[in-house]
Amino acid sequence: MDRGKSHRETTASIASTAEPSPISAAEAFLVNALCVLALAFAFWVSNVIYSINLVTHPSLTLFFISITELPIVILLYSRYRQNGIRCTYLQAVGRGVLGVPVGALLNFLGAVALGAPVTIQYLPKTVNWALMMSVFTTVPASCVLGSSWADWRRIFAQTKPNGSIEYLICLPAHGAVIGAWFGAWPMPLDWERPWQEWPISVSYGTIAGYLVAMVASLGFVLARGRSQHIKRE
Amino acid sequence: MEASGMGGEGGCGKWGYIWAMWTTVFLHMVAILFFTAGFLLTRTELPHHSHCSDVSHSPCFSPLNNNGSCWTKPATNRLVLIVLDALRIDFVAPSTFFPESKPWMDKLPVLKNAASSRPLSARIFKAIADPPTTSLQRLKGLTTGGLPTFVDVGNSFGAPAIVEDNFIYQLVQNGKKVVMMGDDTWTQLFPHHFQTSYPYPSFNVKDLHTVDNGCIEHLLPSLYKEDWDLLIAHFLGVDHAGHIFGVDSTPMIEKLEQYNTILERVIEVLENQSGPGSSHENTLLVVMGDHGQTLNGDHGGGSAEEVETALFAMSFKKPHSSVPPEFDSSSCQLDLDGKNVCVSTMQQLDFAATVSALLGIPFPYGSIGHINPELYALGADSWNLDASQKLSESDIWMQNYVNALCINSWQVKRYVDAYSASSAVGFSHDDLSRIAGVYTQAENHWSHSTKKLLLDRQNDSDILVPALKRQIDAYFKFLTIVSELARSKWTEFDLNMMGTGIGIMLISLIFQVFTILRANKKHAVMLSSSEDSWIITGSIFTIFLLGIRACSFLSNSYILEEGKVANFLLSTSGIVTLRQSVIQGKLLIESIGFLILSTFCRFAIEVGLSKQAATSAFMKDYTSWIINIASGLSVWDYAAEVVPMVVLILLAAWLYRVTSGSFFNWPWKYVILGTILCYVLIIVHWISDSDRFGGPLMPQSIGKTYIPRIIYAISLGQLLLLAFGQVFKSNSLDCKTILVAKTTAVLSAWSSTVILLSGKQGSIVAFASIVGGYFIMKFVNIEDGKVGSCRSFSIMQWSLFATCLFFCSGHWCAFDGLRYGAAFIGFEEFVLVRQAILLAIDTFGFSIILPVFGLPLLVATKYQADVGKHFIFTQLSKMYTTYGLITAITTTFTILCVTIHRRHLMVWGLFAPKFVFDVFNLILTDVLICLASIYYFDQGKEVPELK
Repeated sequence: MDRGKSHRETTASIASTAEPSPISAAEAFLVNALCVLALAFAFWVSNVIYSINLVTHPSLTLFFISITELPIVILLYSRYRQNGIRCTYLQAVGRGVLGVPVGALLNFLGAVALGAPVTIQYLPKTVNWALMMSVFTTVPASCVLGSSWADWRRIFAQTKPNGSIEYLICLPAHGAVIGAWFGAWPMPLDWERPWQEWPISVSYGTIAGYLVAMVASLGFVLARGRSQHIKRE
Repeated sequence: MEASGMGGEGGCGKWGYIWAMWTTVFLHMVAILFFTAGFLLTRTELPHHSHCSDVSHSPCFSPLNNNGSCWTKPATNRLVLIVLDALRIDFVAPSTFFPESKPWMDKLPVLKNAASSRPLSARIFKAIADPPTTSLQRLKGLTTGGLPTFVDVGNSFGAPAIVEDNFIYQLVQNGKKVVMMGDDTWTQLFPHHFQTSYPYPSFNVKDLHTVDNGCIEHLLPSLYKEDWDLLIAHFLGVDHAGHIFGVDSTPMIEKLEQYNTILERVIEVLENQSGPGSSHENTLLVVMGDHGQTLNGDHGGGSAEEVETALFAMSFKKPHSSVPPEFDSSSCQLDLDGKNVCVSTMQQLDFAATVSALLGIPFPYGSIGHINPELYALGADSWNLDASQKLSESDIWMQNYVNALCINSWQVKRYVDAYSASSAVGFSHDDLSRIAGVYTQAENHWSHSTKKLLLDRQNDSDILVPALKRQIDAYFKFLTIVSELARSKWTEFDLNMMGTGIGIMLISLIFQVFTILRANKKHAVMLSSSEDSWIITGSIFTIFLLGIRACSFLSNSYILEEGKVANFLLSTSGIVTLRQSVIQGKLLIESIGFLILSTFCRFAIEVGLSKQAATSAFMKDYTSWIINIASGLSVWDYAAEVVPMVVLILLAAWLYRVTSGSFFNWPWKYVILGTILCYVLIIVHWISDSDRFGGPLMPQSIGKTYIPRIIYAISLGQLLLLAFGQVFKSNSLDCKTILVAKTTAVLSAWSSTVILLSGKQGSIVAFASIVGGYFIMKFVNIEDGKVGSCRSFSIMQWSLFATCLFFCSGHWCAFDGLRYGAAFIGFEEFVLVRQAILLAIDTFGFSIILPVFGLPLLVATKYQADVGKHFIFTQLSKMYTTYGLITAITTTFTILCVTIHRRHLMVWGLFAPKFVFDVFNLILTDVLICLASIYYFDQGKEVPELK
């Protein structure tokens, strides 16, 4: 749950001044829809075909969600990379793949700081949860932004997204983190429900936050598009 | 940055800054006094015991001449007491007594059949227990005949052993032997009373069988033995089955069926040996529950399901007389088989008196129950030996009963008088005089008419019986008044008082908020108008975190995991700071370090919480988490001994470096040197204490007792020096430097005692708190250039960190979380005030004393030296008020929570201890804030320092 994605050796590139690749509202909708569909597909397959779910097999399900969502997120977001001329599509994909372990590590450490269990029994669950978090938070950002520290800081620390694609990165990532944070709240209650175990409720919170923020980001993109339209007129 | 504008305000001096704090303390104390008087039911335990010879002081007939019996004529020789934990009345009584037949009813047919086939010698009672309906309190109530409350003020310092008089003690005292099997609560309550005991651990709720199987194994063989007069068998299965599966479940029904089989066999064995001359000729069997349970298996509160339990009593003699109908409370119904079953009603409060009367031992001194006529009647026939008179059996029984009641009333009156004389919060004067009036009336009737009638053996029953009945009614009236009064005093919350307390508490909160706002307004001039977004974000986060923390106290689960919740919030605040530091592009290392520190705290808290679950290492000296970790390898053992010392040496070195700073002049310098000396002494103490290094260095006694005392003395001396040193201070330094020096000095003076009391973990926790405090201090400066920017977030962080330190140092909010061992460091014998102070310092040292005195560091590091004294002091007082407000808000929520949950199952187990801790926390924080403000705000003249 690390919002400040720090410690990346950066050459505070001036590239951030370059306007990110434009994205229309329809495209934004398509990107979000595909991400949501992939998520739904992952749930459906794990439920129906493998007959597992978050409550019975949390690590497997989380892993399955991650590997279903990951290629779609990378492939989609790499299309909207910054500096499209200097950076090829493949490079963007590579950056996205690199973002997975880094994001997973940061999320893992954040979760441990907030009290996630670290015993051997829980380790795979925590790791798989961190992978999923990283797919939701850092992977899209690393595809689009690359290693531009200034951009990372602007989006994740200051929460000042600039342009439609940055809304699509910033809001869902924040939504996932905040959702996970709230998802931890039912854990200490003594209802003795199976879903109160780590990381099930947190994962539900993550996904709920992610979905809500997706819709919100779409709303922002639409609103922005309209205001720009007006300005241009 | 000009402070001169504010110079005019300095006229009111020191008191201008601190009057608000004193008002707050006063308001809080009044509020808490009111609330506590209404909520915490308190009773004083009297140390007196009844003696055989006492009865000669009573106006009643004493049977002393009568073959060695004591107060009353014994009606039974031996008693088999089978306690089935959490026995609901509908387990025992036939289902026809209840509106609906449920699966768990009629599962103990053996009791019902006995009661219906032999109504004169076996009876079923609905026994009404008094809350709190937890096993420990109920067993205490059953044996002492009193009404145990949450706070039984007495001589037991932590240990649950009963010090009050009780019938087990009386039995032992009168040469009878007691055998116990089952729930080990009994052995905790009566550590030295049992001839033989077979205790089994009761805390594992998931284990339905260990205790019961142990009981079964020993129960039947014991019945054949002759070496006991009272046999106690306490079965726990039904209680545990209820907790885990609920009442309507297969395990519960299986348990009841199992009990039915056992009870059948017990009755069979007793029956077979009940012939004349056999060992159970004169035995009474009692099968009872200590409390009921709800359908979910909960108990502890005062709802009907929880307080209504069953009592079955059976005597194996030939039945003789029945109770006169005036005293018969039974109601009868046909059961499913068409047999007539009667169920009577009694109070559990009366159990101790009745059993004592049946066994012929002195009634427990503090018993306020009366002898239940129906239960007493079961032992009736053994008085008929001298039946030479023309009276019927029932009349003879009544003669005996009236005499027993006479003794009973006299004993209760004696207790009420003694209680009012010795307890600080006794009964009111009106109540006492009312009691005395009723008693005198009954006693006059006894001495002037009844006694004479009884002595004159020629009386006809026509004259005698009405007189006896009137006498019995008079005694009943007296005993009922006493028990009602005691109930209202000891088991009922006073909602008006509680409401008043909450109201005053809310007023104090409003007052504090008002004070802060006023201070803010005063400084509106000085605040640079460029309000930064961080100020707003910080304030919002503060309110958010505080709100979550306060609301978390409304649920028992969060209270149980309070340490984890506090740490979660601390880490969250750390992440927010990290985010802020990324925005500002500075202090990155510090904020990451803070997160790492809170992660460490988190592990320490988890180790502490795991200890809470199994509280076996209770009176151990160092029940610290270091030892827990180190119990494995010998290398770890070694490290666990050495690491704290190394850390302490580091601390001493750091302090030495601080003193070498130029601005420390004499009072502070010597204080800090004294602390370094203390640290050295602590190390020596640890070395001499440990098995590994100790021994050859010096005699144990010096290390064990004298070194701690020297350290306490040095600390006290340092504090006195600091308090009076101000008078001689040279005013050459600027205000900020003095503030830093003062803070460091007072912290170091406290630290040696706190570390010593906390044991080996102390130095590590102290190190952690210094590091954490340093980081938070740095974070105050995260926004540069803005004088008077909002520090509420830092204060919240400070307070959360203090809470985490409380849990890190191995405490939790329950009385078994107190480390009693710490109270005896340096002292062997127990002196209440001294040991209580030491215990308080150990418990709250890291979480209140050090944080409160260290708070000025947050102000001092923020400003340049030139902002002027008045400004700094106003900031400081605002800061203290904010800190006090944070504590007050959390405590207010705890108070609201116990008010809402006052009938909750865990009110005595969880909420009330939390309440006591929080209230203590609040008062201590307030008082320390006041002391700190006196110490920090000196009266020196305001020197307008202009830039």
